Amino acid sequence: MQDVTKSDLIIRIAGEGGEGIISTGDFITQSCARAGLEVYTFKTFPAEIRGGYAMYQLRTGPHPIFNQGDTFDVLCAFNGEAFDLNRERLKPGSVFVYDSPGGNFEPDIPHGVHAYPIPMTLTARELNSPRAKNMVALGALSRLFGIPEAALREVFSAKFSRKGEAVAQANLAAFERGVALAAALEKTDPYTVAAPETKRDQIVMSGNHAVGLGALIAGLDFFSAYPITPATEVAQYVSKHLPKLGGTLIQAEDEIASISQVVGASYAGKKSMTATSGPGLALMSEMLGMAFMSETPCVVVDVQRGGPSTGLPTKHEQSDLFLAIHGSHGDAGRIVLSAENVQDCIDLTVDAFNLSEKYQCPVLLLSDSSLAFSTQNVPYPNPDGYSRVERKRWDGEGEYRRYAHTADGISPMVDPGTHGGMHIATGLEHDEAGAPNYTSANHEAMQAKRFGKLKRAIDDFPAVEVDGEGEAEFGVIAWGSTIGVVREALQRLRAEGLRVKGFYPKLLWPLPVEQFEQFGASCNRLLLPEVNYLGQLAHFVRAETRLRPESYTICGGLPFTPDMIVCKIKEMLA
Amino acid sequence: MNTAQKHLHKVELKAKEYKSDIPVVWCGGCGHHGVLTGLLRALSELGVDPNYLVNVSGIGCSSRLPYFVHSYKMHTLHGRAGAVATGVQLARPDLAVVVTGGDGDGFSIGGGHMPHLARKNINMTYVLMDNHIYGLTKGQVSPSSRKEMKAYTTPYGGVDDPMDPVLYMLTYGASYVGQAFAGNVRMVTQLIKDGMEHKGFSFINVLSQCPTFNQIDTAAYFKGVVNDAVNEHDVTDRDAAMHVVNMALREGRMPTGLLYKNARPTLDERMAALVEHVGGSPDYDLRKIIDLSRP
Repeated sequence: MQDVTKSDLIIRIAGEGGEGIISTGDFITQSCARAGLEVYTFKTFPAEIRGGYAMYQLRTGPHPIFNQGDTFDVLCAFNGEAFDLNRERLKPGSVFVYDSPGGNFEPDIPHGVHAYPIPMTLTARELNSPRAKNMVALGALSRLFGIPEAALREVFSAKFSRKGEAVAQANLAAFERGVALAAALEKTDPYTVAAPETKRDQIVMSGNHAVGLGALIAGLDFFSAYPITPATEVAQYVSKHLPKLGGTLIQAEDEIASISQVVGASYAGKKSMTATSGPGLALMSEMLGMAFMSETPCVVVDVQRGGPSTGLPTKHEQSDLFLAIHGSHGDAGRIVLSAENVQDCIDLTVDAFNLSEKYQCPVLLLSDSSLAFSTQNVPYPNPDGYSRVERKRWDGEGEYRRYAHTADGISPMVDPGTHGGMHIATGLEHDEAGAPNYTSANHEAMQAKRFGKLKRAIDDFPAVEVDGEGEAEFGVIAWGSTIGVVREALQRLRAEGLRVKGFYPKLLWPLPVEQFEQFGASCNRLLLPEVNYLGQLAHFVRAETRLRPESYTICGGLPFTPDMIVCKIKEMLA
Repeated sequence: MNTAQKHLHKVELKAKEYKSDIPVVWCGGCGHHGVLTGLLRALSELGVDPNYLVNVSGIGCSSRLPYFVHSYKMHTLHGRAGAVATGVQLARPDLAVVVTGGDGDGFSIGGGHMPHLARKNINMTYVLMDNHIYGLTKGQVSPSSRKEMKAYTTPYGGVDDPMDPVLYMLTYGASYVGQAFAGNVRMVTQLIKDGMEHKGFSFINVLSQCPTFNQIDTAAYFKGVVNDAVNEHDVTDRDAAMHVVNMALREGRMPTGLLYKNARPTLDERMAALVEHVGGSPDYDLRKIIDLSRP
């Protein structure tokens, strides 16, 4: 036994898809969160329906967690492939829990690794419940690393209560055998989860579910979507809960139909949304232009995945920014927001609705596949604590003109069924009344109206965060889930005495140019890490501001780690 | 009475009072004039409150129709009228929703939506103005063009066989299917009226001549090949309706009149039942949903 225990723990469970990797991880995550710990998970799935390598990584501890971490402290391998794929990350001091004897592999464990063989397959077979292999592993992990057992048992009973007594008993028996197997081993590693004394009032959600919750809080009335990885869970969450609030949802025949239905429902006066991924967003481009032209509010969530084309459907990438900002023919505008974490998925979805209703334009919210599947704890949200903006509606005075020029560029809308409000919503260029009008003076005035109101969104909702004060040697600009990685990297660099700052825009379009330039002025050098090949945000920053950030791009299907940012900055300073 | 019908039989307006001030832009002799007249008459005879009427169209000559009608309206994208109208209808089942569009709009670029409007039984009326040609782009073959048609993109004659809109819609499960010739305004009026009163997805194909670009499917041609007002089959029997269409097609003719009509629950009704089933209401306490995410 070591003298110093470590309560910050990153545990990676890996094996064959279908072996219960994900549910094992979820049990640990839920029980840690239940005990009041912070949790942050990272998962990778095979794109195939069955089989393939599956991995679940949980980072937990008593202090705020911003990302998935550099690597794991503990690896639990269900099979040989899981070992092979992770072997080089097994460094001296790390922990290896594996299926042995009776597993399908005999690992050559690197020197200095704390190894705990647990006969997972064998034990499950002995108990006549071969599917409970993961429960044997779970029992061993819980014993070895002090996963709060009371909380774990509560999570079990909630999970298994629906599956009948026999299933519950078989799983519990396997769990307890796992505990006993681990108890018989001598613990040599320092990792032990320590539950805080005070519990927090918190919920645990994935990014996708959080988007759904944000939409419900915002007052979502109408939802239409087409299934697509990795966005489908947004639809699943909304499908389950929107009917409880009396809302309407439809699974459309394709993404073109879903955005079309959303625009139709919004014209009819309802707060409407769809959720998709890059391929779906590409199909929606034309209708998003129509929503801009006809000034129809709508919210589109794009859970980005690896591209182009079918690409890497289950992998991480931040490569839809070009499409999100400019993906429409003609000059078409929109507002683009980008979420860092699960909390943002709730909050920015509400903001997306509010901005869309206020400015009568499409609002896109970008998430990404690692955030989509990442389970994180957030404080229990108070639904009454959010503001809900309603579109400006016609007061019934005088003659109604749908596209009337106003001081702020926002023309009151009217719901069908309102006497005197009859009008046309149209994708043709039109005059104030909506009648087709192709004169140059009219088109110029109308484009100025439509784009002018969007510019105002920056003052209304700058949504940028500056991390750090004063002058800095190095400034890092990050967007989306890369922000959480940068936060931790900067903490580490500061701890080493470096003067570094971070800039985290969550409104990406219209680009808050002034805020970017102010930040840039306080830094000697700028780095912009993002997970795409082209350096998409860097492109816009160079085009729109005076800043010349240095791009740091990766596109290997995985997010950055804090270590990568730290190394990059040190390398650049050297 | 279904929710959309609440606004039928409400007002007394003459047909011309449903006409907007925007001048009609179609060529002289275009069959679409007959469809517009038929629609205005149907609205008047039904007494539709124009404040609760939404006309939705896509792109094409025929898709200009909503501009000419005094109502709420949307002029959307090529092929997307049905999908947009679905959003309008589901969001506000109390509105009367009418889609107008052409054969290219509905069955070429928008063909992917048609099966779903029908099978989901969206409570709306879709009037397809079928002139067997692309007119707005000045004369190219459409999905319903006869193979022998020479057009700008088929200078040596066509290479594609045509599809038959009513046969497709019967197959897709539309709960109301009718067909008329635009020159028979009385039948157009009657079918639109009947279709709007029908609870569910009503599809009316109107054979509409394009005197400018379609030199073979003239008014005289349509007049000569339509079988007037078929009425000898059981209109609630889909097999019988398809048989009538197939028999006519075999002889190079087109049946007109009401072909099929059979009520079944609409999607908005099913959604309402679903909301009722889960005890849904706008007052539902969101905290009960949030509580489910406690660890």
